Amino acid sequence: MWRAEVDGLRLRFHLAGINDQNFLMRDEETGSYWQQITGAAISGPLAGRRLTLVASDELTFATWKAEEPHGTVLRELAADIPLYSKKDWDVRMLKAPTVIAYPESGLSPRELMVGLHGFGASRAFPYDGLLKEKIIEDHLGAEPILLVLGQDGHSVRAFRRRIPGVAAIADFYRVLAGQSASAAALLMDSATGSEWSFQGCAVSGKSNGVCLERVESIKDYWFDWRHFNPATTVYRTHSAR
Amino acid sequence: MKTTTFGRRFLLYVVPCLLASFCLLVYPVYVIRPFRAQGVRELAVALAVARYRAPFMVASVAAVFVALVWYWRRERRWLRRIASAAAPLAVVAMALASRVNIYELMFHPLGPPAFMAAGQSKLAGDEMVIAIHVSTVARAYPIRNISYYHVVNDLLDGVPIVATY
Repeated sequence: MWRAEVDGLRLRFHLAGINDQNFLMRDEETGSYWQQITGAAISGPLAGRRLTLVASDELTFATWKAEEPHGTVLRELAADIPLYSKKDWDVRMLKAPTVIAYPESGLSPRELMVGLHGFGASRAFPYDGLLKEKIIEDHLGAEPILLVLGQDGHSVRAFRRRIPGVAAIADFYRVLAGQSASAAALLMDSATGSEWSFQGCAVSGKSNGVCLERVESIKDYWFDWRHFNPATTVYRTHSAR
Repeated sequence: MKTTTFGRRFLLYVVPCLLASFCLLVYPVYVIRPFRAQGVRELAVALAVARYRAPFMVASVAAVFVALVWYWRRERRWLRRIASAAAPLAVVAMALASRVNIYELMFHPLGPPAFMAAGQSKLAGDEMVIAIHVSTVARAYPIRNISYYHVVNDLLDGVPIVATY
């Protein structure tokens, strides 16, 4: 998700090509070509410029609706409904061929990863591993971070592991169902004993009302993430170590 | 059929125009095609060709028509005249084809997006959405829908964004 603006010029994009199985967009205002995954212009008058990332989430509709009851949803176009992806599109995509592979990584090209980029580093987390572990404490560069699987079992968010106003780096644990008075409580931290929601905000305890800083994450296939983040490291799940 | 001197000169003008038009048309299509790894340099060249080929295509069309007129003024046989028109027509066809981006034909861009209240949506709870919150506006783009369009241009509280998938 990108801010479609450069130096005050609003840009309108459309799909205009492909580069190593990641699509290219062309803006109608200058005719520049942009790489979808990096937001970088690779050809045309704006070559070398980058779009600004806009914070976004990949969530289940139920989770989003619970968080944003007054939000709005993209309306389907009746004429296009037969053309929309089928319900099992993500399963079928796993079988699609790729032209890039990194066999030395031990990961299949279509392995779904949660990619993080920031603090001078890139790191990828196997999504299946996160589904099993549900919470991952790790580092992005030197920054302690936390990845959390939502209560819906599909949605993922990442946060810095620094609680505002607390010097110590906190460890976080998953709150089991029925162990908290708050239905929103998903995590508990070791530094303050507060309970935290999937939104990264404390819902009880000393830090009540405080929120962790979000780290942008993107779900992507391994080949695509690795290709456009060549310096990425990979988190190995406990079962893979 | 014996080729005349002016016939050979006509071919000398027309064949390079045909070849140039063909290369200008086909090279970007050849490089920027699915299920093929694109090299950095060849991609840069292909995009530059796609961007700057229009005036060369027009020049090529003009050149072949000048050559055609020149040839017709010398050639009186109608069969040869008609045959000679094939090359300019091919150059025109390639010039027109070069204005078409096949990806833009394959993937229909979504026009101005329309939205509905979350409470009115019949989307299943387990459907994945791309969610964004800008200022006071929260939007969700169902992935199964935008994976068809791939690109959705939107405006949230005055902030232009592009949702991609």
